[in-house]
Amino acid sequence: MTPEERETLIEEATTAWRPERLDGSLGPHPSFADLDDAGRREAYARTRSLRAMEAALDPDGLSTTAHAVLDRIRSASTRT
Amino acid sequence: MSDLDVHLSAIAAGDADAFGRWLAAAEPQVRASLFRFAAVVDTEAVLQESLLTAWQVAPRIAPDGRPNGLLRFCLRAARNRAISEVRKQGRQEPTAEVDAPVEANAPDPLLRRAIAFCIERLRGKPAQVLRARLDDPGAEADGSLALRLGMTRNTFAQNLARARRQLTGCLSRQGVRLEPNP
Repeated sequence: MTPEERETLIEEATTAWRPERLDGSLGPHPSFADLDDAGRREAYARTRSLRAMEAALDPDGLSTTAHAVLDRIRSASTRT
Repeated sequence: MSDLDVHLSAIAAGDADAFGRWLAAAEPQVRASLFRFAAVVDTEAVLQESLLTAWQVAPRIAPDGRPNGLLRFCLRAARNRAISEVRKQGRQEPTAEVDAPVEANAPDPLLRRAIAFCIERLRGKPAQVLRARLDDPGAEADGSLALRLGMTRNTFAQNLARARRQLTGCLSRQGVRLEPNP
């Protein structure tokens, strides 16, 4: 893997998007599986910074993670 | 942190806006708690599932005389889910580490103003990809966003990295640090 390919995987893993599993739960990002431990830690650190920035910018203080969770709640009856 | 259970009765009654207010304060805490699992499990997926579980279980959370009952439940749910994912992979549970909280070294209104100032200074493709991410809270993978912007996955990621570096540099000059401590 080239350094550029590794960078791409790390950046991709910082999105709030996650694939849905067959049971409706969210699975890991495909890029996550291709990263080594150090790359995964880097993706985690970058994600924390991004989410802090997103929340600071949002009028309700919500990150893209929070918006993604709320979108799932509002688009389906998720109470068991 | 104040007692986030002030939102609990509304959340239990199905008020998603109240859950949003709870999320704004709880999410960073739950994410930080997953620090030690970051090399083994995808903490973003674990986090979102745990937050959703908190919403589902909220009507059954009974007050125990201590603050932040729903947050404490969510922290346990996130840890248990992460441990379960670790076991599925046949890996060892990571040992506890000192956590690294995200610190924004400025009051919120100042932080918001500094970030807005720095984002306004982004130009071209870095500005485009960051906007695409902010406008799309997890609904689509970067590959789809890249396609819409007429970029390859690699170009999208490279521009996102440029945007992040430029923002971090600009914020640093404003006296704001968003990177977690090592």
